[in-house]
Amino acid sequence: MGGCEGKRLITCLLVLLCAACFPTLSLADDAGLVASVEASHKFSKKLSAGLETEFRSRNNFRTADRVSIGGDVSYKVLPWLKAAVGYELLIDNNKEKLTFQDDGVTYNNWRPSYWGTRHRFNFTLTASYKIQRVELSLRERWQYTYRPAKITDNFDFDEAMWEDDEVKGKGKNVLRSRFQIEWDIPKCKFDPFASVEFHTTRELEKTRFIVGVDHTLKKKHAFKFFYRYQLTGSGSDEANIHLLGLGYTYKF
Amino acid sequence: MKKMIRYSLLLIALTFVMASCEKDDTDMDAVLAQYLVEPAAVELDFSALDEAPDVPVTDENDSAYNDYVENSPWNKVITITFGGETPMVTGTVAGVMVQAVGNHVTVVNLSGPVKFVVSGQTTDGSLKFYGDKRFQLLLDGAEISNPHGAAINNQGSKSMYVVRADGSFNALRDGADYVMVDEEDQKAALFSEGQMIFSGQGELNVYAQGRGGIRSDDYIRVRPGVKINIYSQALDGLRANDGIILDGGVINIETSGVGAKGVRSGGPMTVNGGRLIAVNNGDTRESTSDEGLADTTACAALYCDTLLVINGGTLKFKATGDGGKGINGKHHVTINGGATTVVATGTREIKKPKGVKLDGDFSMAGGYFYTYSRRSDPLDVAGRVNVAAGYRTYDTGPKVITIAY
Repeated sequence: MGGCEGKRLITCLLVLLCAACFPTLSLADDAGLVASVEASHKFSKKLSAGLETEFRSRNNFRTADRVSIGGDVSYKVLPWLKAAVGYELLIDNNKEKLTFQDDGVTYNNWRPSYWGTRHRFNFTLTASYKIQRVELSLRERWQYTYRPAKITDNFDFDEAMWEDDEVKGKGKNVLRSRFQIEWDIPKCKFDPFASVEFHTTRELEKTRFIVGVDHTLKKKHAFKFFYRYQLTGSGSDEANIHLLGLGYTYKF
Repeated sequence: MKKMIRYSLLLIALTFVMASCEKDDTDMDAVLAQYLVEPAAVELDFSALDEAPDVPVTDENDSAYNDYVENSPWNKVITITFGGETPMVTGTVAGVMVQAVGNHVTVVNLSGPVKFVVSGQTTDGSLKFYGDKRFQLLLDGAEISNPHGAAINNQGSKSMYVVRADGSFNALRDGADYVMVDEEDQKAALFSEGQMIFSGQGELNVYAQGRGGIRSDDYIRVRPGVKINIYSQALDGLRANDGIILDGGVINIETSGVGAKGVRSGGPMTVNGGRLIAVNNGDTRESTSDEGLADTTACAALYCDTLLVINGGTLKFKATGDGGKGINGKHHVTINGGATTVVATGTREIKKPKGVKLDGDFSMAGGYFYTYSRRSDPLDVAGRVNVAAGYRTYDTGPKVITIAY
């Protein structure tokens, strides 16, 4: 079996694996794009840093969802263990909020979508284990996100008027656990991977299933193409979403 | 080729990014338009009103026969003219006694139909009637202010015909603090235990600070041609315990007291014509009952304890205070004609400022009806809403309801 044939086989297997994990796909699901550009630099064999900007869309690719910029510094503590700290500035297009009175029909309040910022700090530990050309990794990330207070427009249907509404500032801790499997195919510049990630607060908030390929070009340019299905927990009113991902990394 | 693919992918990504400029909000434009609608204008209107001639009832069997001043003989006349230290009283009628202490005049009428012609000015005077005989009060340029109570107080239970001499201007003012007399009521600047029937082409302004503007413990009838303007900072503007009949005339009422009503009818209220505009700027009154329970009383431009029937005329009601209702009815409302406009623009800190709130049914078979509430229901009917077929317009929105025939 040649390299590229093996690649195709592995890719198909990963896709089938992930497809088996999607019991709740429905027509009500949303779809969007994740596009990112990153620059990273390796200061030594152990220390590296990166700067990344990302764009996300939703509403079947029609609405901007988020723009972010952030950086991280990572350090290889052990050959199989990497630690990283990072910060992200998130600029979110927060979705509208429409509430009804007890009868379920009469409007109560409507806050249109609005742009707001958040600050996110994270600390990550990634453990990797290689079995021949298959690399298994477990990433545990604690992230703290702070949303500053923001004054937004709100239409009060009882008062029949627009009024200022303060979205209060708050912080949120999330533990993100990701298990990933990646195949390094010999003589092939495409490395398929698949992962599943759980976002947990006091309960499971969302689960992400990802399949994709990494493509490195002349060691300096790396591309990532992936598909992500994000399943939201039962406590959330957010729709599940299919995301297509495109990433470019410049390494120097 | 590979480069081509990479650039194509980047181009696709860029296209997606550029295309993501649409909002995903619910399209609320049409909904908001229904909520952001401005209410119809309701302002006091002092302009002249063209009315059909006021034809007195001549059939003695008609229940309204005695409400027409023309149907009684008025050959007994006493004239009271305010202006000096004491009023000048002319004319004598057997069985009628007139006494004055300063400009506070007391009339005891045991005679029968007597016409009292009142004119002149006093800033510390009053006119009080005793006797269960109907009488005519002809106001011919009378301006009476009583700092200590009602300007005119009829303690008799029979009809008081309040007639304004043609072209005359008359004003009545009460005081902020009433000095009460044992076993006597004085509930307004112009108060009567018996029915009050307003007629004549003159003008009457009533200013209330301590109690209500005009009040009868019986019923009130207003005939065409009448012009009454009532400004009350205290209690109700125009109130009758046993009912109100508006056959015509122009009535402007502005009230601002907490818990007050512009117009309050304890009995059936019937509107056959004329123009009645009541603007209530008062807020809800909060009080504590004898049992120590918290209680609230909302304002209303019109408050009816029983049936309200509108057959004609122009009626405009506006409540601007907290929880203020345009019309608060404890029974049914029936509209057969006329043009009725109701607006509630108040806040709802304590009570809901509804356009029309009814405990009974709302029925309409003719005329024009408009109701608006900025912060609550324009029409809240506990009973049934019966709108007869044949209407030209029947628009219902969250803030406005319009029905027109």
